[in-house]
Amino acid sequence: MNTHVEIEAPTRELSYAEAIREAMDIALGSDPAVVLMGEDIGVYGGAFQVTGDLVHKYGEDRVIDTPISELGGAGVAVGAALTGLKPIFEFQFSDFAALAMEQIVNQAAKVRYMLGGSVSVPLVMRFPAGSGTGAAAQHSQSIEAWLGHVPGLKVLQPSTPEDVKGMLLAALADPDPVMIFEHKILYKMKGHVPEGYYTTPIGKAAVRREGKDVTIVATSLMVHKALAAAETLAADGIEAEVIDLRTVRPMDRDTVLDSVRKTGRLVCVYEGVKTLGVGAEISAMVAESDAFDFLDAPIIRLGGAECPIPYNPELEKAAVPQMPDILNAARSLAKGQI
Amino acid sequence: MPVEVIMPKVDMDMASGKIMSWHVGEGEAVAKGAPLFDIETDKAAMEIEAPDAGVLHFAAPEGSEIPIGEAVAWLYADGEAIGEQPKPFAISGANTPAPAPAAAPAPDHSSEAASVVSRPSDAEAVPTADRPRATPSARRLAREAGLGIDAIPGTGPRGRVQAEDVRSALNSVATLSAPPGFTSETGPLAVTRSKGGTGTPVVLLHGFASDAPSWAPLEPYLKHRPLIRIELPCHGKSPRRRFPGFADLVKELRHAFDALQLDQAHLIGHSLGGALSLALADTRLRSIASLTLIAPAGLGPEINGSALTGICRATRAESLGPWLKSLVAEEKLVTESYIRLAMAGRSDPALRAAQVALADTLFPDGVQAFDLRAALDRVEVPTRIIWGKRDAIIPWNHALRAPGRVALHLFDGIGHMPQIEQPDLVGKILRAAV
Amino acid sequence: MSTDRNDDSNIPYAIRTHTPEKLKDALRKMYLIRKFEEGAEESYTRGLIHGTMHLCIGQEASSVGTCLSLTDADKITSTHRGHGHCIAKGADVAKMFAEFFGKETGYCRGRGGSMHIADPSKGNLGANGIVGGGLPIAVGAALSAKRLGRDDVTICFFGDGANNEGAFHESVNMAAVWKLPVVFVCENNKYGMSTSIQRSTSVKSIADRAKGYDIPGVSVDGNDISAVAEAIDGAVARARAGEGPSLVENVTYRWRGHSKSDRNRYRTKEEISDWMARDPIPRFAADLIAHGILTEAELADIDAGTDREIAEAIEFARGGPDPDITQLTRDVYTETAA
Repeated sequence: MNTHVEIEAPTRELSYAEAIREAMDIALGSDPAVVLMGEDIGVYGGAFQVTGDLVHKYGEDRVIDTPISELGGAGVAVGAALTGLKPIFEFQFSDFAALAMEQIVNQAAKVRYMLGGSVSVPLVMRFPAGSGTGAAAQHSQSIEAWLGHVPGLKVLQPSTPEDVKGMLLAALADPDPVMIFEHKILYKMKGHVPEGYYTTPIGKAAVRREGKDVTIVATSLMVHKALAAAETLAADGIEAEVIDLRTVRPMDRDTVLDSVRKTGRLVCVYEGVKTLGVGAEISAMVAESDAFDFLDAPIIRLGGAECPIPYNPELEKAAVPQMPDILNAARSLAKGQI
Repeated sequence: MPVEVIMPKVDMDMASGKIMSWHVGEGEAVAKGAPLFDIETDKAAMEIEAPDAGVLHFAAPEGSEIPIGEAVAWLYADGEAIGEQPKPFAISGANTPAPAPAAAPAPDHSSEAASVVSRPSDAEAVPTADRPRATPSARRLAREAGLGIDAIPGTGPRGRVQAEDVRSALNSVATLSAPPGFTSETGPLAVTRSKGGTGTPVVLLHGFASDAPSWAPLEPYLKHRPLIRIELPCHGKSPRRRFPGFADLVKELRHAFDALQLDQAHLIGHSLGGALSLALADTRLRSIASLTLIAPAGLGPEINGSALTGICRATRAESLGPWLKSLVAEEKLVTESYIRLAMAGRSDPALRAAQVALADTLFPDGVQAFDLRAALDRVEVPTRIIWGKRDAIIPWNHALRAPGRVALHLFDGIGHMPQIEQPDLVGKILRAAV
Repeated sequence: MSTDRNDDSNIPYAIRTHTPEKLKDALRKMYLIRKFEEGAEESYTRGLIHGTMHLCIGQEASSVGTCLSLTDADKITSTHRGHGHCIAKGADVAKMFAEFFGKETGYCRGRGGSMHIADPSKGNLGANGIVGGGLPIAVGAALSAKRLGRDDVTICFFGDGANNEGAFHESVNMAAVWKLPVVFVCENNKYGMSTSIQRSTSVKSIADRAKGYDIPGVSVDGNDISAVAEAIDGAVARARAGEGPSLVENVTYRWRGHSKSDRNRYRTKEEISDWMARDPIPRFAADLIAHGILTEAELADIDAGTDREIAEAIEFARGGPDPDITQLTRDVYTETAA
């Protein structure tokens, strides 16, 4: 009925990067229309070794090294998607999307609508994102909210190896442009990944831990920090419910609202700059809904600081939410101190 | 010079009063001693007479809170020049800057001290309360339970009422199995009349958690008069409504009484109905031929709060029975079939929820939150109090606070329900009186 | 006789290459473009058209000459001055007018308007509101053809203004590196809005840009349909043969202002009237008559026939239904069947 396939396949441990590669391998092997495009994704294997040795398996015609031309490359991917291919376009760093915003925002997102539905753009773009690598201001941003603001795009932030494989395959099965933000710190994270083909639904959040006292909605790497915080909170007798949003657009309203109705308290944790970010949207969604009537404390947003990501490691840590921040926020809410 | 009409002090610790309504319109003449306006204090409501004859001008707006001794209107002689309002109204809340020091606002760190210094001893200087600070969840829970959010103490930051505070408040009047919420209704109170009878009618006001049919045992002794039973709000067939306080309940009852358009009436009230009868007489003195208070509330702070909440939260005969038995001296009077009948009359969850809310307003923490002793002193109509000395709900010795002109009928071996426990005794007294 | 023709350099390329029917249809399309633009201008004046539009009166030979030999499988990407391209590629002028009037019966169901006019069924991937927006998309379309083993070529129309966009350089470079079947067709009408190529472009001829990417570049008289067709046909043949892209510069002139708000402060009346004297339409008609392809009576028929076609198209368009407001967000995403 839908593209989602229930997972029954055996699993084994793969890293997040390996899980992406496996998804791309499956796609390349099963659909001749699929091509990979990006800078240094061929023999180099990708800046983060995500494509790895796929070029040896599928050749340079299908694992295409582009020149350092983000705008042109993105546009080629759009044009290819319009005319029969299913490109997976890798930005070397999500920050470089700024060079390609014209093609992403003005073309990919809008072509179908502008042309009255007579075409579609089955395009997947991958964005290595986030801070924590010491790469400073132009290689560490979390810009999912920029693209989340654009109707016509779907924006994903998978947080586990299992999800990133399933969501990449779901994105490939989707007829519209899908943007996948991959936190660079997650690439080495290992986890169980089912074998073979399966999809993880787009637009559906996952409850990673159930709890009754406070809801923590987190994205990407922050999901893991939130889960760590929830462990510590449990020792205090506070049961936090941790929701992995997984999709920024379209956002899973029901899962978030159901949880807030249950706990009455909400913390939003995301790495993008706090102001006008994903947490603002989550908060507004609650405030505009009947779940508002269940709020028993103000909503707390924990987002990136109002500055570029700095180089110094201590400054860099201070620029994005950390586990103790989540812990303090959730504890204060649960104890009625805020 | 026009005659200044002031907010009279009618209660010992009264600081200000609220103008409820004017009996006379702007520019209309009033005779000295005629009813001029109704006021309400934090304890009671009453009718104020014109201090002099004259034409009313510059009457303070209805609803305004005026400190005692301050002008509320002026009465002008016929033909006297009107001109401007002689002086502005000292409306409480509107003039709070007055007691504040002239100095610049205190900096933040001393604001607490400043507020202590400027905290007025008189109620009129307290700024009109802002909307209470409460979370959406607390508001929802209170709304569903029929509680006013402003009646719930907040323990959260800055005094915010949180869901837990509402739950605590609900627990103080009911257990966790509290009845579900009710929707506040409007409309007139339910009134029933007997057939037959002549002369001055008798108006009957039942007690808390009771209803009009509870008068049945007594009615044979009163059938020579037209009988009018008013069911209190949140009782019997009357609308379920929320009331911020006792005065609002009195006001509702006064509307019902006024609507009867009776020249004269004998008032008989039991328990809460007794308190309401007394408050009604206080503002409608001319219409009251006599006043009979059976085990009335309002004459002292004590009341058996657990019995009241026990009755109004009971959802089955088994839990209602023991509380009903506490109402009477001789438990045998309360038979199983009587209990089941009483429970059947209380089967509507909305009725129970409304009574829980009403009990919380009138008898918070098992204390009578209103005091009508001053009214009893003022009401100079033939008055009698009937009480059983084994009353387990309201201590009978509250009766001893009545002034000498009030007749007391105190019975050994009778509980809180003399009219049911010994209808013949009570009936004979009443028959002689009305 | 045909041998004689081929040897006779006095016989224009188009006439010696194409059938009389094809040539007469080309003339008819030039008439249709001219009258379409005049009809659009009049409709705009009457308040029937919302927004603005960019007319290509004077550039008809470039549109029709470029598309003369193309099939419906061949793709074009168009520009904001794209009405002529659309008609030359075979669009129905009635559906074009309907789009201009914002009707549900228009090519884009009233969602695109003049600037996004498209007819994917004829290989037209759409006009573009972004200068240079179509360039990488054309390269992507060519990539699809090559990857999927199709022999269609993509014509990428762009204006002189776009030759200074980064997208142009990135696109031409990638197409050249990957030897993609795309022909970059610059319609050099001398001005990017008000800024002349002399003031904006470092090379004298935009065809010279080809040298930088080691591809063929040729500049032709864009008001001579035969010259245009000859250059394009050569480039298309090269592309189909797998030899990669070419750059063709059609030097032409727009008679009207940049858009409807242009007050013509940057060029002289003399310059405009000089170019109007080089009207491509009578020039081609005269050639056809001189070579015995067309009679005066047939010309009169084309004139009257295209008048009728435009009048009927406008009537059709005016009578069309307006879009349903409740369908505002239709086609932002593909509605996937459950």
